[in-house]
Amino acid sequence: MIILSLNNLTKSFGGLVAVAGVSFEVERGDVMGLIGPNGAGKTTVFNLITGASRPDDGHIFFDGRRLERLKPHRIVHLGLARTFQTIRLFPRLSVLENVLSGAHCRMKSSIISSLLRLPAQRREEKAALGRAMAELRFVGLDGLWRAEAGSLSYGDQRRLEIARALASEPKLIVLDEPAGGMNERETLELRDLVARIRAKDITVILIEHDMSFVMEVCNKIVVMENGAVIARGSPDSVRRDQRVVEAYLGADED
Amino acid sequence: MTGRFPLPGPGRIAWAALAILFFCLPLMGLPPNRVGLLNHIGLYAVLALSLNVILGQAGMFHMGHAAFFAVGAYATAILNTVCGWSILATLPVAGAAAGLFAALVAAPIIHLRGDYLLLVTIGIVEIVRIFLINDPFGLTGGANGLINIARPVILGFKITRPPHFFYLIWGFAAVSMLLFHWLENSRFGRALNFIREDTVAAEGVGVDTARYKLMAFVIGAVWAGFAGTLYASYMRTISPGSFSFWESVVLFMIVILGGSGNQKGVLAGAFLVVGLPEVFRFLKDSRLMFFGAALVLMMIFRPQGLFPPRRRTYAPPPEAS
Repeated sequence: MIILSLNNLTKSFGGLVAVAGVSFEVERGDVMGLIGPNGAGKTTVFNLITGASRPDDGHIFFDGRRLERLKPHRIVHLGLARTFQTIRLFPRLSVLENVLSGAHCRMKSSIISSLLRLPAQRREEKAALGRAMAELRFVGLDGLWRAEAGSLSYGDQRRLEIARALASEPKLIVLDEPAGGMNERETLELRDLVARIRAKDITVILIEHDMSFVMEVCNKIVVMENGAVIARGSPDSVRRDQRVVEAYLGADED
Repeated sequence: MTGRFPLPGPGRIAWAALAILFFCLPLMGLPPNRVGLLNHIGLYAVLALSLNVILGQAGMFHMGHAAFFAVGAYATAILNTVCGWSILATLPVAGAAAGLFAALVAAPIIHLRGDYLLLVTIGIVEIVRIFLINDPFGLTGGANGLINIARPVILGFKITRPPHFFYLIWGFAAVSMLLFHWLENSRFGRALNFIREDTVAAEGVGVDTARYKLMAFVIGAVWAGFAGTLYASYMRTISPGSFSFWESVVLFMIVILGGSGNQKGVLAGAFLVVGLPEVFRFLKDSRLMFFGAALVLMMIFRPQGLFPPRRRTYAPPPEAS
């Protein structure tokens, strides 16, 4: 079953065409890697999917809904969560509160019930705390729930971003360079984490430069260059693709 | 929020004792003019607490809070003097009118950031003041304002003297603090903090930032409207001069100096900014100079305010402890 499909997506900034007619599909249960040289347009594609910017042309279908005119929070509400390439936690708030920010869109208490602390609001608050703690345990940060998010190590901050995204109960999670800045041990743990996210029946798309990581965790890969898709398929087929090799290593001029 | 019945720590007991002592002041023979000053501080405190939701919690630079205060005060004054409503009956209408007004004027400007929002909100307060001076439909009495506003009657008891108002105003302030404390410790309060910390990230993790910013304005304005009702029936006379840009600046100062986001800080700010210039009245005109110097020193040595914002506390989940 196709959960996400991009149809001829185009986006330019001024005269620069960042994404030129990109189309691909993601099936439910996939772990899809989006790779390509710097400036290929990968993050722009992510920003279009998550509503951070609007495409000039083309369509995005997610779970039977069109996304390209929706605000980011609506897209999260539909079940598509993201992490940011440059970490964007709330650094002065606690680890627990950062995860609660993801749970926010699944909570229903109104302003009035919050102002008067009605019983239903208190029940919901308690349930949300439990859920947030469960997500922290899932990524292995439950011992740090009181800490200030900005005080965590780089790798822990990346995992906290993932916990925050998971707290919004997504069907699909979009990870922008999750292994960026991680050491070898942390990357190994991340590989395990992605596998466990997949086991929860959550589809994953990720951008990553660490090729061995991508080849290990992804069952499908899309390669972009200069704003266009140049190859797609299984890790093995992509590895052997002549155009991919040229894009990464440079074409032989003769 | 440490359990339903937390054991009070020494800090809590000290604050409670201070509060009880404060509420006994009018009974202990405090002169009426001093009680009057406390009433004034109380009105500013209610206004600053409501501004704190917008400025302290959501981090939106709003310097036009006197506009919402004016809408509430005039709603009460008009309904009372023209339509003959009792003061208490005008309270919800004053709040609703200010909230509705806030929703209308804030909706188109809510996306503005920092200093841009500041400029527009200054504009709003001036527009309201000039509108009131122009006496639209002969309702606002122009520059002279409205007179002979009635006193509030609660359960058959007519509130007239300063000590009566002391309990009305400070009782209202206490209830406001409790409700705002609850609001702060809810998904609404957290959402405002996410917006203050990083609006783009907040939107990206599923917070409807435009809606919550607007809601912060509306809640703050409703409370400013309530304060307008108290003010109108306390002064019995209101005029556009009472809702000037300067009043907005004073409220802004109270929140920033006290510690934006911290209700105790806002309360302390109200005492400091409104109370101190009165206490030093014997210094005549030079008192404002001392006041200004105090502000400058404050911003140099304690820019986060008297009481910096506190972290929320959460009951440790059983599995984690």
